[in-house]
Amino acid sequence: MSPSRLSSLLIVLILLLFAGSLLIGPAALGPLDGLKGLFAGGEEAAVIIMREVRLPRALLGLIVGFSLGICGAALQGFLRNPLAEPGLIGVSATASLGAVLIFYSGLAGASMLALPAGALAGALVAVLVILAIAAGNTTTLTLILAGVALSSLSGALTSLALNLSPNPFASYEIIFWLLGSIKDRSMVHVWLSLPLMAAGWALILSSSRALDALTFGEATAASLGTNLPRARLSIVCGVALAVGAGTAVTGAIGFIGLVVPHLIRPLTDRMPSSLLIPSGLGGAALLLAADIAARIVVPARELNVGVLTALIGAPFFLWLVARSRREAT
Amino acid sequence: MARAVDRSSLRPVGRPARLAALLLALLAPPAAAGEALPRVMSLNVCTDQLVLELADPAQILSLSTLADDPDLSFHSAAAAAYAKNRGLAEEVFLVRPDVVVTGTYSLHNTTQLLEHVGTKVETFDYAQTLDSVSGAVRRMGKILGREARADAVASAYEAELAALSSPPAADAPTAIIYEQNGVVLGSGTLADSVLKAAGFRNLVAERGYAGMAPYPLELLVRDRPDLVLLGSPYPGGPSLADQFVEHPAIASLKSLRRKGIAPRGSWACAGPFTIEAVRALKALREEMAAAKGTGG
Repeated sequence: MSPSRLSSLLIVLILLLFAGSLLIGPAALGPLDGLKGLFAGGEEAAVIIMREVRLPRALLGLIVGFSLGICGAALQGFLRNPLAEPGLIGVSATASLGAVLIFYSGLAGASMLALPAGALAGALVAVLVILAIAAGNTTTLTLILAGVALSSLSGALTSLALNLSPNPFASYEIIFWLLGSIKDRSMVHVWLSLPLMAAGWALILSSSRALDALTFGEATAASLGTNLPRARLSIVCGVALAVGAGTAVTGAIGFIGLVVPHLIRPLTDRMPSSLLIPSGLGGAALLLAADIAARIVVPARELNVGVLTALIGAPFFLWLVARSRREAT
Repeated sequence: MARAVDRSSLRPVGRPARLAALLLALLAPPAAAGEALPRVMSLNVCTDQLVLELADPAQILSLSTLADDPDLSFHSAAAAAYAKNRGLAEEVFLVRPDVVVTGTYSLHNTTQLLEHVGTKVETFDYAQTLDSVSGAVRRMGKILGREARADAVASAYEAELAALSSPPAADAPTAIIYEQNGVVLGSGTLADSVLKAAGFRNLVAERGYAGMAPYPLELLVRDRPDLVLLGSPYPGGPSLADQFVEHPAIASLKSLRRKGIAPRGSWACAGPFTIEAVRALKALREEMAAAKGTGG
């Protein structure tokens, strides 16, 4: 499939899901009332529901999903490892920990701006730790084990920090930070995270040629004239920005960056560069779909979207592990 | 039947007990020469309130640590003078109170353990409304041997509530209590009974929500009640739950939005002091009616 055709198909899918996300909700608004409330104004309740409740939710599904998808593709290409993904290598969990430490300690007051700052710092630390471990030509197994260790440690410290908070609500928020949700967010969250994410996307896309060269190994890539230190810096900062900013407003949503590149790759020429944007689009579609499902699976009680992505992603992960074992023997 | 069993079980220890009572009477100051009041330990913030209302200060061995929290404990200032417990069975064994009072819902294991080793434990129901207050006051009075005081407190409360309460008419203003994380207080809750006594219709109770229940933000916007009572931020530290009530969708509602209308701690537990929450809400309703009269 040609890259432009693949992207167009994915964009159509995203548009459908985005519309679905806007039209589904507990307040049974008719599609016409909803569209009128969104674009033209009209009845007060419909306007507020569409513009302040459903639009930010759909937008966050779009941009956070895009970030997770493109970061998964970039990390899998850069580390030449099919299991690399922001969630599995501990970037999301550590971003959550950073946000939690800054926000709940009250260091920055109750300011929302504190959340991305903490999450970006956490994500950056995690990417650097993983790169340091991956630097010595490690196996897939070492990388994943390091990621599991980092995720567990960050998850435990997140739980500890929230349990120690004097605010009794904080300990219930462990679920949000570890499983993620885009429920009841506002446009404030969108404006807070979008510029940072966009900067991350740009950094990742700027290193797409280096990613292609890296498929031949680091030595060959360097001999082909790739500026490896620069590419490494772009990927590290790009992933930290995109995943950190997303996690700051939605908590850690796992497995999207793992699943989507694998689903998209057979439809491309298998070069990392041509996988980046389709993976981002696929990630956006998957998160929008999972978030719609989170709303309608159990009508009276909303699920955390991270539960659903894990339900899809974890079996897929197991299948990938089994397949890579078969190929190794 | 129960009394007969009690008496027979007392008989073998009758003489030492009488001796001890005699010794106590000799040692104790004349003022306390009558039958000593049972010494009480309270493990729950809501029983703390009733103990503080009714008990003689000398009776109180300790209260729960939450008794010091002004957002949960109306009598937090009075509670400051007493020792505190964390609701652990060990603490009870050390102090050996005559009676332990606690809530049915809290620390269930502790209650069972205490009853198992023969400590007298009195539990109070967590589901409280304005109507359950005088019954709970009289029961606590009996447990503490302060029946006369309890009767006076309960009667005064009943009279005041009857004078104050004005059940909502069909055209009464509507209200929704919207707490952290979008939790509403539906039928059967203390807050529901307070709203009704103050003359508001509790919209979520009318829609069939009972107890504390999550209520989607969209539905609050669709309902557009006359009054939204938002949860006040908890003073201990920031949380996302506290930020939730600042959501722009709530801010753009035309409904009257208020925080902290009821005096602190006045409706966290049900007690005679909950009348202050009714009074504050009724004043707000009258203010709203006046504004509507002049404005519209």
